[in-house]
Amino acid sequence: MKRPDAVWAIARKELSERLRNRWIWTVSVLVLAATIAIAFFSATPVGVVGAHGGGAILASILNLAVYLVPLLALVMGAGAIIDEKRRGLLDLVLTYPVSSGEYFLGTFIGYALALGIALVTSFVPTGIVLSATTGVDIQQYALLVVLVLALGTSFLALSFLISILSRDPARGVATSVLVWILAVFVFDLVLVGILVGFGGQIPETAFGVMLLLNPTDVFRLIAFTWVGSAASPLGLATVSPPFPAAMLVSVLVLWAVVPLWLSHRLFQKRLAMDKLI
Amino acid sequence: MIRFEGTSKSFGSIEALAPLDLEIRDGEWLGVFGRNGSGKTTLLRLLVGLSQPTSGHIRIDGTIPGPEDWRAFRRSLGFMPERVSLFDNLSGEKTLRYFARLKQVDQAEVMPILEKVGLAEAARRKTSEYSKGMRQRLNLAQALLGDPKFLVLDEPIEGLDAHGVRDFFELLKAVTGRTVVFSSHRLPLISRVVDRICILSQGKVNALGTEDELYEKVNLPVRIVIHPRRDKAQALTAAVNQLDFASLVSQNGRLVVSVAQKDKLQFLSELLSLGPEMHDIRIEEPSLEEVLLETT
Repeated sequence: MKRPDAVWAIARKELSERLRNRWIWTVSVLVLAATIAIAFFSATPVGVVGAHGGGAILASILNLAVYLVPLLALVMGAGAIIDEKRRGLLDLVLTYPVSSGEYFLGTFIGYALALGIALVTSFVPTGIVLSATTGVDIQQYALLVVLVLALGTSFLALSFLISILSRDPARGVATSVLVWILAVFVFDLVLVGILVGFGGQIPETAFGVMLLLNPTDVFRLIAFTWVGSAASPLGLATVSPPFPAAMLVSVLVLWAVVPLWLSHRLFQKRLAMDKLI
Repeated sequence: MIRFEGTSKSFGSIEALAPLDLEIRDGEWLGVFGRNGSGKTTLLRLLVGLSQPTSGHIRIDGTIPGPEDWRAFRRSLGFMPERVSLFDNLSGEKTLRYFARLKQVDQAEVMPILEKVGLAEAARRKTSEYSKGMRQRLNLAQALLGDPKFLVLDEPIEGLDAHGVRDFFELLKAVTGRTVVFSSHRLPLISRVVDRICILSQGKVNALGTEDELYEKVNLPVRIVIHPRRDKAQALTAAVNQLDFASLVSQNGRLVVSVAQKDKLQFLSELLSLGPEMHDIRIEEPSLEEVLLETT
């Protein structure tokens, strides 16, 4: 990387463009409203105070994040790079003393920062409310936010890969929604089907490894490790063997790094062949 | 100096640009012309390094550039693409500041360039509010950042009305001492400002040279329109038909004669020697449009 200043300039421009997108703020406000509603309805009937009640609230918020954060990230990045190519901006930028790698990295950083700001806006106010009104551990909540950011980043990386594979922003959005449905709904149903099909006789480790093939399940596994037995709404994560937290975090990081690396390779290849769109 | 040496570009089985040898001299203004799909944009994309040649190579100042040489070359390059949709949400000034950062150009250069292209007053307006002509000027402004010694303008006057074209050329008058390559399919408009013309057709260079050299190469006949006196038309037609180097093209109350360039003076001399058979003569040299049509 010869020009970190160019990477930063591109990232700033992308961040500025993304933050002007009303759709992102609409979703952020909706997520914020939903998390606050969860906090309110989870705490009110039992007057929760203490670690057990706090864990249940966190688990509910994590469950909400599993559905909405991937959707936000996937749709946000669905037209990344391809849209600039269609507008002629990518070609223009590449006639400047900027390498395609610097452009790619700057674009991803800009998107990731915008997603991060949107997610912090969605989740942090709720944490403040929860820490003030319930027994939720603020440190545990901060870890949750970090975990949500990691989940968002991995799906953003997937969205970059989808965008470059699909070659068209509209097709990219459609594919992203499909990937979201697969990751959030279908994958676990398939696993349950396998589990039922084998009469529950699948080695625990093999089942756990299958869960690692879906970043939302990796997220759930980490959350389960942190939140513990209060996290019963976290579905299949509760029947997985107890993987070390460091390993799970590494897998989630890989879910960001590998799609990003693949999309970068594909981007370079198609750029060289004039076949990006 | 930039040299294309056997440079070609194909997309699958389609040859967009046949092997090309072309030298772009320092400080010259070269116009690249041709119909849509003739290979103009492909040539320009190769020139700025956006495409890699299928065969042959491009030499810049004697060197076949590697990635770092391209980076260095692009510091001295200004490129104005044909179709670009600049950032609708950003102002003209912010747009230019972004490009200045990418080119490592002092931010203090931004406002003077906006002034130069006549956008100083609109600098803080969003580019989505700009007219076509203003967007074109902003596009030119980004190309002028960093005082590049090499300017590549892809269809710079496409979509501009007569005033827009005039304003654009006024702006370009300020650009001196640089190598400039234009592409366009509006030959007569650009030919006024370029030193040499390269005419492409179906990916091949059909003609290359100065305007005069092209006229000479194509050698289109001159048309001479003769308005005979009312009672002398028949006699004049007969006389013209006797001049074997001229061909009578049409007769509709006037005579339109097509004469080869080399015979032009002799024909006129003999025509005038016929006496007062006519009350007017108009000489129509072939237009550059005709040259372009003839060569593509």
